[in-house]
Amino acid sequence: MAFKVTRRKFLQTASIAAASVPLSKVATAKAGVAKSPFTAPGSFAETKTAVGGICEMCFWRCQLVGKIRDNKLVKLEGNPKSIDNGTSICARGNSGIKLLYDPDRLKYPMKNVGERGKPKWKRISWKEALDECGDKLNAAVKKYSARTIAMFPHGSSAKYPMHYFEHTVGTPNVSEASFFQCRGVRDYSWLSTIGTGPGENVDMANAKVIFGLGCHFGENVHVSHAKRYLKGLENGAKLVIVDPRFSASAAKADIWVKIKPGTDTAFVLGIMNYMVANGKYNKKFVEDHGVGFAEFKDAIKDWSLAKTAKECDVPEAQIKEVAELLGANAPNVSVHPGRFSSWHGNDFHRGRSLACLAGMLGAFGVPGGFVKGKGPKGFGKVKWPAGHEHHKALHREAGIFLQSPAGTPTDLIRDCAISGKPYPIKACVIWGQNPMQTIPKQENTIKMLKQMDFVMCVDVMPTDITMYADILLPESSYLERFDYIKKGTQWDFSDKHQQFVSARMPMVRADFERRDQVYIVNELAKRMGHEKAIPVQTVEDMVDAMLKPAGLSIKKLIAEDGIHLQPGKDPYGVKEDFEVQFFNEELVEEGYAGAPTYVAVPDVPKGYMRLLSGRSPLHTFNRTQNNVWLNAGMPENPVWVNDKIASKMGIKSGDRVTMVNSEGIKSSSTSHALVTPGIREDCVFMAHGFGSKNPAMSVGKGAGMDDQELCSILVVDPETGCSGMRNNFVKLIKA
Amino acid sequence: MQYAMVIDLNKCVGCHACTIACKAEWDVPADKGRNWVKRLGPAQTPEGLASTYYPGLCNHCDSPACVPVCPADPIQKTFKDARTGKTTTLEVAATYKEPFNGTVQVDKERCLGCGECASACPYGARYVNENQINEELGSDGTIDKCTYCMPRVNAGLDPACVQTCLAGARIFGDITDPNSEVSRYKKMGAKNLSSTAVNIGSNGYYYANKRDDSLLRSTSTPTVMASVNHRRQLLARMKPMMNKAKNLGMLGLVGAVAVKGMSDDKE
Repeated sequence: MAFKVTRRKFLQTASIAAASVPLSKVATAKAGVAKSPFTAPGSFAETKTAVGGICEMCFWRCQLVGKIRDNKLVKLEGNPKSIDNGTSICARGNSGIKLLYDPDRLKYPMKNVGERGKPKWKRISWKEALDECGDKLNAAVKKYSARTIAMFPHGSSAKYPMHYFEHTVGTPNVSEASFFQCRGVRDYSWLSTIGTGPGENVDMANAKVIFGLGCHFGENVHVSHAKRYLKGLENGAKLVIVDPRFSASAAKADIWVKIKPGTDTAFVLGIMNYMVANGKYNKKFVEDHGVGFAEFKDAIKDWSLAKTAKECDVPEAQIKEVAELLGANAPNVSVHPGRFSSWHGNDFHRGRSLACLAGMLGAFGVPGGFVKGKGPKGFGKVKWPAGHEHHKALHREAGIFLQSPAGTPTDLIRDCAISGKPYPIKACVIWGQNPMQTIPKQENTIKMLKQMDFVMCVDVMPTDITMYADILLPESSYLERFDYIKKGTQWDFSDKHQQFVSARMPMVRADFERRDQVYIVNELAKRMGHEKAIPVQTVEDMVDAMLKPAGLSIKKLIAEDGIHLQPGKDPYGVKEDFEVQFFNEELVEEGYAGAPTYVAVPDVPKGYMRLLSGRSPLHTFNRTQNNVWLNAGMPENPVWVNDKIASKMGIKSGDRVTMVNSEGIKSSSTSHALVTPGIREDCVFMAHGFGSKNPAMSVGKGAGMDDQELCSILVVDPETGCSGMRNNFVKLIKA
Repeated sequence: MQYAMVIDLNKCVGCHACTIACKAEWDVPADKGRNWVKRLGPAQTPEGLASTYYPGLCNHCDSPACVPVCPADPIQKTFKDARTGKTTTLEVAATYKEPFNGTVQVDKERCLGCGECASACPYGARYVNENQINEELGSDGTIDKCTYCMPRVNAGLDPACVQTCLAGARIFGDITDPNSEVSRYKKMGAKNLSSTAVNIGSNGYYYANKRDDSLLRSTSTPTVMASVNHRRQLLARMKPMMNKAKNLGMLGLVGAVAVKGMSDDKE
């Protein structure tokens, strides 16, 4: 498919390009289809339906069907058989075909014959590209060792390569943005409290109260999760949202707590201390399942309503109101664990405090509480075997970040690469991640990349990081390849218990020279002396190997319209040995506080505001910036600024603005102001992921502002090594 | 029968799935829309701080402002009731109100693309699709707007926006049927966006809590009916004729200049 049109022309005709059907053909189609060349036929008319699609416009993985006309995908819809998303998909899901047919997508293997950061691309063959990747990685490993390779993966297609580099090649220097810049701190804080990562497993649909701290459901859209939330509201749940900003969720809330950023843990401690002092907690549950409650009570006893109110800058009466509401509705309370939790570098304790709050309410295994669905079991695993190199991760060697998620905390890898100490990191594999916009302090990321002997990137789009690649490989998109299975249960636990199994299957063939992850990694493995370790020959084999032990296959899934359904199990109830570690002795042994503890964040310097960022329902960070439909829906990220502050500065809604941070870094692009009473005076907010710099992103380049560019003050959570990204301060400037 | 759409703003999360499903379904150009979602606020209202959305679309009005201004030559058109099979013949221009289901539709073959109906619509629900140029009529494009997905509905499907809505916030049905879900919402207090000046029987209803309702109505209720531009109507009406003449080479130099002048006359 060639696009020999200008960008403007493309934008105008984009929808026709996607359908790619000559109008004359529609006009002569059979009766029942629109006869007019001026009337689009509709996705349902004269199309074939492809099943087995699983969305990856974000990572929730809704199940899809695709409408196909003349071998082109014209529309994506939710799979009507789905008990997860149903026929619904979100804006991003609906826009998948604009990623699929984006003319800016990577098409061929490319070699950078310019310099890193200012690339000049030369098209090369797959053989040449793979040979060069193999040679360069081999040379680096031979000269140093396997740990000289740093890897930055993201997304489901990055799993197979990640396991290869981690297990078989043997480098511990792997940093997943989804952990160290997102969920890692949440997962490990709950793990150290209740023995399991929480996911977003709260039964909001059946809750009496939903308590969200920083959760902005609606701006953060994951379909079945949003359904749970909305069902809960429809069923009359009270909604408490704690956020410095009047977010989409705050707008639907019964109580909006306009908290001072960074003080969340203090707020939760204040609530818990009030509950202890007034006996308003689930004593039976705490007696049966609590560990270290006495030490915990003692540790939080100073958090009076007055002290909490002062620290959090919220009225005492409101803290009491929230505590009373939660206590009165225990145990049917959804204490939401959140998702993106890399906020302030004090986040481990916030996660712990939330898990403890759920413990005090006994909100586990009961309607409305924390409940994990009982999904289908018995699937196979495809694993790369251990190779002969084994290296301890940097943080393990240094004895720091002892509660770190798997992989190595990002800053340690980056610092090690820049300084060469304790060892050189000279080769870099980036797979589906865009570290330019995931990791704070871009300057360091560039330094890290510039000192490498070799950098390779695999992606579907020319994101900013790809400008730093020596070899750039085009990957099949989620609509063109097989991939991991998605399984689960119906989202509303008050419905009939059911389980589902689906697997990502291609809906259309990959165009140009795009290849899937298994092909690429296997070819690298062959060139790196690991041919014998290859666990599966094709991505199809991988999926079948996983399905087989459960008595399923790709063929069977296709025959069942892409989704296998089977009877489910009641997910409610808690095991007798379930424990809530209110006070965790293991943490004490590691040198950390045993009880959730508030650590204050630096105050906002005079004349500045704290930069907050979050989600938009139209974009998945930077990944969707070049999508013409999503760009049209939200071309840039408005800067939320308090109306009193704006009035002093003479800024009105819609005015062009830019920002400079407290370290003098100025945003390289602009956006418009959203002047509102719905945000505190000491902070500004914008959606994350905008302001791409790569000119190859003809739609997304320079659209809106990149919050990450302004995050130059590094803060790291001492327990987990996760980045804190809300400790940067900015001045708003009229642009 | 009169089809209608209710948007339950207590459910809507402003995710835009509706707008994009519509684009995919009907090949709507990326920068245009048959429907839209505008985020409102956060702003102070007399009912308190509010933030909500204005998901808008053609309201298939009882007295549509767009229909009488269409300059296309009227023709006799026979309509058939999808349910009863009953037929009726009406004289219609290129945009008309369907007599059986109450939807407002466009006959794209005969649309001159003058945009007069788009200017007349107080809700801004129509746009000229410049990708669809009817060369025979010499048009600059063809009017496009929400059809309430009648081709889908006639095939037994939900409108594309309703099908994809994860919140179940879009409720579609017959407002003249007292037992329909849309009628139930109307009884609960769902109201259309009307003002003293714009009161043309919109069939788009919004249901919201007090603060959101206040914000929606204060920001998004149309208050002005457009006045009709007779000159443009006249030019549009002349254009097919002039164009034909131009194509046939029947016009002299003066005529050709005049035609060119008209083509450039985009307001």
